[in-house]
Amino acid sequence: MAKEPIKEELLQSISYKAPKTFWMDTPAQIKPGMFCWGAKAKSLNVVGMPNARDWNPLDEDWKLPENWQEILIEGLRERLDKYRSLRLFLDICVRCGACADKCHFYIGTGDPKNMPVVRGELMRSIYRKYFTTPGKVFGKLAGARELDLQVLKEWWTYFFQCTECRRCSVFCPYGIDHAEITIAGRELLNLLGLNIEWIQGPVSNCYMKGNHLGLEPQTIVSNVEFMVDDIETLTGIRINPTFNRKGAEILFVTPSGDLFADPGTYTCMGYLMLFHELGLDYTWSTYASEGGNFGFFTSNEMAKRLNSKIYAEAKRLGVKWILGGECGHMWRLVHQYMDTWNGPAGFLEVPKSPITGTVFDNAKSTKMTHIIEFTADLIKHGKLKLDPSRNDHLKVTFHDSCNTARGMGVFEEPRHVLKNICRNFYEMPRETIKEQTFCCGSGSGLNAGEDMELRLRGGLARANAVKYVHDKHGVNMLANICAIDRASLTTSMNYWVPGVTVAGVHELVANALVMTGEKKRETDLRGEPLPAPEDQTSVSARAVAQPEGEKAGGEANV
Amino acid sequence: MPELDVDGKRISVDADGFLVNYEDWNEAVAAALARKEGIKEFAPGMLDALRFMRDYYVRYKFFPIIRAVCKNVGQPKDCITENFIDPATAWKLAGLPNLGEEMDIFEYGPPD
Repeated sequence: MAKEPIKEELLQSISYKAPKTFWMDTPAQIKPGMFCWGAKAKSLNVVGMPNARDWNPLDEDWKLPENWQEILIEGLRERLDKYRSLRLFLDICVRCGACADKCHFYIGTGDPKNMPVVRGELMRSIYRKYFTTPGKVFGKLAGARELDLQVLKEWWTYFFQCTECRRCSVFCPYGIDHAEITIAGRELLNLLGLNIEWIQGPVSNCYMKGNHLGLEPQTIVSNVEFMVDDIETLTGIRINPTFNRKGAEILFVTPSGDLFADPGTYTCMGYLMLFHELGLDYTWSTYASEGGNFGFFTSNEMAKRLNSKIYAEAKRLGVKWILGGECGHMWRLVHQYMDTWNGPAGFLEVPKSPITGTVFDNAKSTKMTHIIEFTADLIKHGKLKLDPSRNDHLKVTFHDSCNTARGMGVFEEPRHVLKNICRNFYEMPRETIKEQTFCCGSGSGLNAGEDMELRLRGGLARANAVKYVHDKHGVNMLANICAIDRASLTTSMNYWVPGVTVAGVHELVANALVMTGEKKRETDLRGEPLPAPEDQTSVSARAVAQPEGEKAGGEANV
Repeated sequence: MPELDVDGKRISVDADGFLVNYEDWNEAVAAALARKEGIKEFAPGMLDALRFMRDYYVRYKFFPIIRAVCKNVGQPKDCITENFIDPATAWKLAGLPNLGEEMDIFEYGPPD
């Protein structure tokens, strides 16, 4: 773990002046605080990755196979043949620079190699040298260069200083998706055993135990039971979730982080409370116990292998469809890749809300629906009794996760939910939300402890937008629908914008959710006192849309 | 191997100060480990918190939910960070094994 840099020093160290030397002649610096430890032999071995050995990125010798250049070039050749998009993106960039200042890592480091265009050039220069005639003939003049150890270390440094967030692609006039270049770059590095442990560890855990953390089934059950106890303390209602239950209508899968650490555990309590109130016929699984997929930050093949367990479990349990928790990259996978990797899941039915009857046609093929779509639909049809005044102590803004926003176009659903469950909602500036959202700074498996300086630098752009609404409107809650966000934004806010806490949207849903037979709520899910009763009585009368019988009577006394 | 002197008894610890043998732990050992971290005495309930973590580890082979530890010993949910600097220090004082970088999960949160 690296020590946090001093804030003022960090800010002053950001310089956008280009180095004096040409980029090809400026070697990458592997600096503590800015990189993650290399993948360990034991983690690489579990999933049969090549060149499994312990290695240290700070050492001169990375213990590479003798023919590593050949492996990398052949690997690139294979991928150029397999992915037309990669060849296209390497060919068509005109280096206009529209993407240059759009990257959160460039904004936070000032390092020109974090301009997406230059990060792309790291690979393009090799592509030109070995795969194009001008590059072969004219070399450096044509922007080509030999693949040597310095280049390899540069690749490793900068392909792990990109969170694959795709903000740059929004601004590219050609629509080049630089995330795909990073994805290919990481795949190639993995041919040489050059993953980072923060990704490889979760990958091997997930392969062996079904989730990134390596939680055993009894640990999952115990953690959920702890949350159930907390819910009982809060509401007086005892919830009895089921695990690995055959014949349930719905399989629920969420990132395992929600089962272990705050604030994810509060989001998880939110799911449990909502499902109970709906009387949903669903089950957890202790086998498909991970919604996230760090295989995606390793290689397509690895992502496919880890993803397959979700369908396998759905089939084994005989459910009709799959509901997924709040996650970011999980949804880019489900939305854009799952169907071609492991689908079509003909044995499942198109997701249909048993409460509203809405058929989620957008998930016709994958049979898997994001919980924010499910909940937005419930609210739209007036199926939830909500008291938004219970969130009156919060001034909320929403952070669009890169993957749900740019990867699947989820913009309005979380906003629709938030505007119905809280009454103080403020948007961050337009150019920092929705399709232009800034990354949390730690996505794509970079949210480790040892690269803390990189994470804080990468998080600066998002934090700056939060600070704007914090200063202007007193925003004190950053809502999101992603487990990596919940972990990484908490760190980022503590550092950049103290006074702003972080929550999954379903935590706030559960705060507002008026449950049948619940006792008078004294606190929110975190045990913080609710707004003063006299304020609340007057507002709750207005806020509760359809007061009815006992429940409304109970509410009026809050 | 480094050792810790507790009431004249030699207790093995590793280079980072973690107890080598789970069974060596008792209140006096916990107090000695705590002194090395600059913690002079245990706040109310904190010895019970350490005992809870030890039991949890044996049963579940994992880090507990931090606020679950506090709730189980009847303390406010921030009791660990307030009294032990961070969860990883509490883990150490509970005599649990040095899991190296994996402890980052406990301190900085999960990968997703």
